[in-house]
Amino acid sequence: MISTGVNGLDEMLGRGIPQGSRVLYSLEPGANGQLFMISTLSCALARGHSCMVIFPNTTVDAYRNDAARMYGAHLDLTSGPVTFLDAIDRERIGKSAGSAEARAREWKARIQKLCHDHKVTVIFVYFDLLYEEFGLETAMEILESAQEGAGGMKVTIILEHLNLEGAPLLERFIRDLSFDFVLAIRSSFRPFPNFNYFTLVHTSWGPVPVRSLPFIIAEGRVIPYIPRIVVTGPANSGKSTFVMNAADEGHSIDRQESDGGSTTVALDFGWLRWKDFDITLYGTPGHTRFDPLMPPYLRHAMGAIVVIDATKPEMLPRARHIISMIEKRRIAYAIAANKNDMPGVMSAGEIREGLGIGEDIPVFPISATKKADVHSVLESLVASITQFSN
Amino acid sequence: MYTYKSGIAQIDQISGGFDAGTNILILAPPMSLGDQLAYALTRPLTGEYAIILSTNERAAEVVDAFKLAGADKRFTGVIDAITKSSTPTIVDTPRLMFVSSPTDLTGIGIKFSNMIETIFEGDFSDGEAGLFPPPIRFCVNSISTLLMYRRLEVLYQFLHVLTAKLKKIEGVGVYLLNSESFDEKTLSLIKQLMTCVIEIKVEQNVNFLRIRGITGVSGDWIKFQVTKGQVVILP
Repeated sequence: MISTGVNGLDEMLGRGIPQGSRVLYSLEPGANGQLFMISTLSCALARGHSCMVIFPNTTVDAYRNDAARMYGAHLDLTSGPVTFLDAIDRERIGKSAGSAEARAREWKARIQKLCHDHKVTVIFVYFDLLYEEFGLETAMEILESAQEGAGGMKVTIILEHLNLEGAPLLERFIRDLSFDFVLAIRSSFRPFPNFNYFTLVHTSWGPVPVRSLPFIIAEGRVIPYIPRIVVTGPANSGKSTFVMNAADEGHSIDRQESDGGSTTVALDFGWLRWKDFDITLYGTPGHTRFDPLMPPYLRHAMGAIVVIDATKPEMLPRARHIISMIEKRRIAYAIAANKNDMPGVMSAGEIREGLGIGEDIPVFPISATKKADVHSVLESLVASITQFSN
Repeated sequence: MYTYKSGIAQIDQISGGFDAGTNILILAPPMSLGDQLAYALTRPLTGEYAIILSTNERAAEVVDAFKLAGADKRFTGVIDAITKSSTPTIVDTPRLMFVSSPTDLTGIGIKFSNMIETIFEGDFSDGEAGLFPPPIRFCVNSISTLLMYRRLEVLYQFLHVLTAKLKKIEGVGVYLLNSESFDEKTLSLIKQLMTCVIEIKVEQNVNFLRIRGITGVSGDWIKFQVTKGQVVILP
């Protein structure tokens, strides 16, 4: 097994990547995912694998520097069992061979020789330029020729590719080229926070469900985290009901009020699986005395839903105050105007005016007791965070 | 919605400037004022930010050019695609980021996102605050160089994402393309991504520009020059 160097990911894969696999790290433009390749390379070297790295768009020195800066001092690319083909090799191949066929032959010859001489067991390839120059099939043929140089040993091939074609290209890797492991690394199209996440698209060695996880990069490590949506709003607006009806599982910590009702005094928790994400819902208490708890709840939240009671215009100033806390963190949010099935509800326009929000913030008239209503709010919010639209 | 002053009276007097989300292609022949016009349109005004993707000049040269044009360097960032090939140890700062070469579209995309995020987080300008949400002018100098290294179809897809992101952040984009080195197919494909095209021609050492794609603005050729980062329309 070769570790990816990403703890949560290795566990999802069953301890890592089996030797001899074909692996694709597919990066969407702007997604900060180069550390996946570097950290897998570092782990392979640490386990004593002899590695070859092919990066046709930069030089060895620049690559070493970038890798060391991204990953830290643990990655030794100077004395470890690693060999390189870089931009200078690409330039030499381009000059020495005229036709595409001749260039492909030259690439194969060099890869085979290095694999043979250095007993390479894992190849790391920055694939964009080879793909662009030769097309998918020929570029993969070039890389597969490593097997011939490896003397019968099954070489692991790990690609990083800037995917400008989306899901159809991933399908080609899986269906036509029988790749064993495909990981798509994506980013939200919101400018801030720049939300990166990876989706485990395919594994050949086990029934691993398609799953997405956001991650941050800290201290040279990819750190996945469970995405969080904060459900907030004034007291008695229906947040607990919202969380309970949104979640596959949930729990509320309530206290009896003097009027016989109950109020949330800590948090409502809910967990649900939505759009490949395992999402944690945090329902906050609505009373002002709990406001100091809001900043930590909002930290690393992927979005927020403000639940208001659409029959109580007098609660809008309180909702406005809560919204200002969310806007301060620049977190995507939507308004769930609850109790829409009751008489005397405000219109969406009145709510917008009362809250001082523009047309860009969605307002959903809902009844929090109806799962379909609750899910439509979540769907809209998650889509607005993760999907790209012009 | 924010409006970006162009510094060209013919545009600013009619529409107030460029609407947020506008992507502008400058089609210019070699030895013209194309790059100076691109920089003049990208120069950040008070409270604005500028990001320049440079495939032709080193970051230090770009910053100097903007300083000479009167721009505040604390609000000007450069993604430099050439210095790293000769100085591999060079290190990124919040305003100066480096990618290995103009072929490295992965790196360019990441540095662009990082710089935008740095601006939104308020960590870009040594503690000085601009407007919020931040108005961002973005310049690619040049698409011609990127096309020397990457195929048109690939670059089209990449620029499609970049221009769309710029719309999303309500910035304004300025993209420079040599009008004489590429065939009609290339020009028309790149134009598809743009909201507005400014063509430049040079006759007897005089530069003319023509604006296409802004409602109400005449498409006539007008004489111009660029002095200290300002576009000057000549009689």
